[in-house]
Amino acid sequence: MKVKDTPIDLKKALLQKGPKFRSHTIIFNENVADLKPTISSLLFCVIYIVVGLFLLLLAVIVYVKNHQLDFTIFLGAFGIAILTFGITLVMPFVKQVTFDKNRGSFRNNIDRKVELGNIVSLQILDKVITSKNGLNYPCYELNMLTKNGRRINILNHNDLVQLKSDSEKLADFLSVELIDLQCEMVL
Amino acid sequence: MKKPNRYPIGIFLTFFTMSAYAAEGDPGAFSSLLTSISVGVDTFFKDYLGWFVNLIFYSVPVGDTAFPLIVGWLFIAAIIFTIYFGFVQFRRSGLALGIVSGKYSDPDAKEDGEVSHFQALTTALSGTVGLGNIAGVGVAVAIGGPGATFWMILCGLLGMASKFFECTLGVKYRTVLPSGAISGGPMYYLRDAMAERGFGGLGKFLAIGFALMCILGSLGGGNMFQANQAHAMLTYAFGVPAEFGVITGVVIAALVFSVIVGGMPSIASVTEKIVPYMAALYLGMGIIVIALNAGQIGAAFGAIFDGAFTGAGVVGGVIGAMIQGLKRATFSNEAGVGSAAIAHSAVKTKEPITEGLVATLEPFIDTVVICTMTALVITIAGLNVAPFDGADLTGVQLTAASFSDSIGVFKYFLAVAVIMFAFSTMISWSYYGLKAWTYLFGEGKATEMIFKIIFCIFVVVGATIQFGAVIDFSDAAIFAMSIFNIIGLYFLMPIVKDELASFVARVKSGEIKKYK
Repeated sequence: MKVKDTPIDLKKALLQKGPKFRSHTIIFNENVADLKPTISSLLFCVIYIVVGLFLLLLAVIVYVKNHQLDFTIFLGAFGIAILTFGITLVMPFVKQVTFDKNRGSFRNNIDRKVELGNIVSLQILDKVITSKNGLNYPCYELNMLTKNGRRINILNHNDLVQLKSDSEKLADFLSVELIDLQCEMVL
Repeated sequence: MKKPNRYPIGIFLTFFTMSAYAAEGDPGAFSSLLTSISVGVDTFFKDYLGWFVNLIFYSVPVGDTAFPLIVGWLFIAAIIFTIYFGFVQFRRSGLALGIVSGKYSDPDAKEDGEVSHFQALTTALSGTVGLGNIAGVGVAVAIGGPGATFWMILCGLLGMASKFFECTLGVKYRTVLPSGAISGGPMYYLRDAMAERGFGGLGKFLAIGFALMCILGSLGGGNMFQANQAHAMLTYAFGVPAEFGVITGVVIAALVFSVIVGGMPSIASVTEKIVPYMAALYLGMGIIVIALNAGQIGAAFGAIFDGAFTGAGVVGGVIGAMIQGLKRATFSNEAGVGSAAIAHSAVKTKEPITEGLVATLEPFIDTVVICTMTALVITIAGLNVAPFDGADLTGVQLTAASFSDSIGVFKYFLAVAVIMFAFSTMISWSYYGLKAWTYLFGEGKATEMIFKIIFCIFVVVGATIQFGAVIDFSDAAIFAMSIFNIIGLYFLMPIVKDELASFVARVKSGEIKKYK
């Protein structure tokens, strides 16, 4: 394996975007720590699923009552598109993210699994989310650093109090250092 | 955790369930219920907001018609700016095209994340091409006859100077935060530039007035008109009953709410990618229809010029045609309204004039090219006949009928395009409205949520009430923004004149280099 001599910038955010509400909390259960999506994040995704299903239902009603094929296809296509979008949006929220001391590993179904012994430290970062169609708002990341120099995002949301609380508990759980790398943000 | 979020979502879900059940169970009763809701909302709206419309469109008798002073206000301002800046939109068009093509941009000095002028123009254009070009032109020629098109073109040409002026100021007086985020627009230049000129008190008053009207504009033209015409398109293309607008409204409102509640990858990012293709699709359809009827182009232009100076079949004659043309052109290109300055202030440039010059191209493409194309399609189709009183087909339905008169399947493409345009315009205007709202009431989760909920309610209202009430309020709200914006612009003319002279001199002397 090639060894890179470029320094790792721990202050650089891993993710560009982030929600304006608390998306996950960490639930500790003896030797296992799981990320659980919050109701608000699930409801956000559910809007798309409900709208998509509603349009599909309307498409069925239109076809059964009027046999109007063009409008049925129109409603159905929009319904399927929005429903598909909702499902792809909800997937990351319900994915299993686990720190398991019994197995000695971290899994998030995205990155390669990490041995818990290889986790060096946790870092809290802050960032400003800017968008063309919305006001700026702060967002926070909890990332972990491994012995191999990999950085993996664990939490990414806008509730700093909850994120700090979860981070402290997780650092205790993993017996690793928690580093607060927040800068002063000016919105 | 944002508790307030749960309630509107719960209401949406309950509504969906109830309406689907009702539609299946007893369609007659459900239809009657929707009709009564529609009529109730319409009546309430007319009763409580009619005074605002009457105030903004205060008219004086001219010949045998009533001329709204606000239309003259915008038109005269555009003429004054055109003359004052030495016909900048025509004399500096080469410079504007040069800036857009990157002739004056150092390829090695591009900042990280910089948006080029060309990207800024295409982004702004994809946002500008929308229902103003489709439904707005349909309204103009339905009430003002083909002659209204001529006045739209004239308004577009003169409006280029207004856009140049306000977009230059938008960039010059924007606020760049340490985070790199940019805030700009009339609220800022009215406050800061007016203070610079020694009119701080008046500037603050104008900024507050503009912000108030911008909120109304976002609820009217940027929201209700879009929702109303989206449902009107469904009514035309698929025969959806007009009273079912409340369902269209709730579906769109749910999606809009999901976007503006903020902070997640949302359907807006998908829409943003699709809209430019929709704009290209619309242009393509227009070109095809005109090409198929190439033999009638001369006659169509004849009808446009003839109608402009005779006003035949139009209530109010020439003045009537002029009023409709000027109204709809302003609604479409937003020149003098101030909204463009909010959008353009985000461009990364050290020279405000460059963005002003680039912005001159916008009314030209939007109004002179695209609106004229729509008007030609409508005139060629011949479905819009005298007397032009709007009693028959109007708005998006007239435009759609004219397109599908040549190629029937076009109505389906238009339906998709109209829904997309309406949705993307709502998202853009929700941001303008929110900027104005937070300018007045400060930033905070609770205050922002109040605006967002109001905005979503108006989506439902817009789709539910009758077209007349929607178009009146939408026009009034958009035009009201121009009152405060243009008063301020008159005071700030010397600032931009000096800026323009300096820029042109530096281009001529070679201080500003050409790279191509």
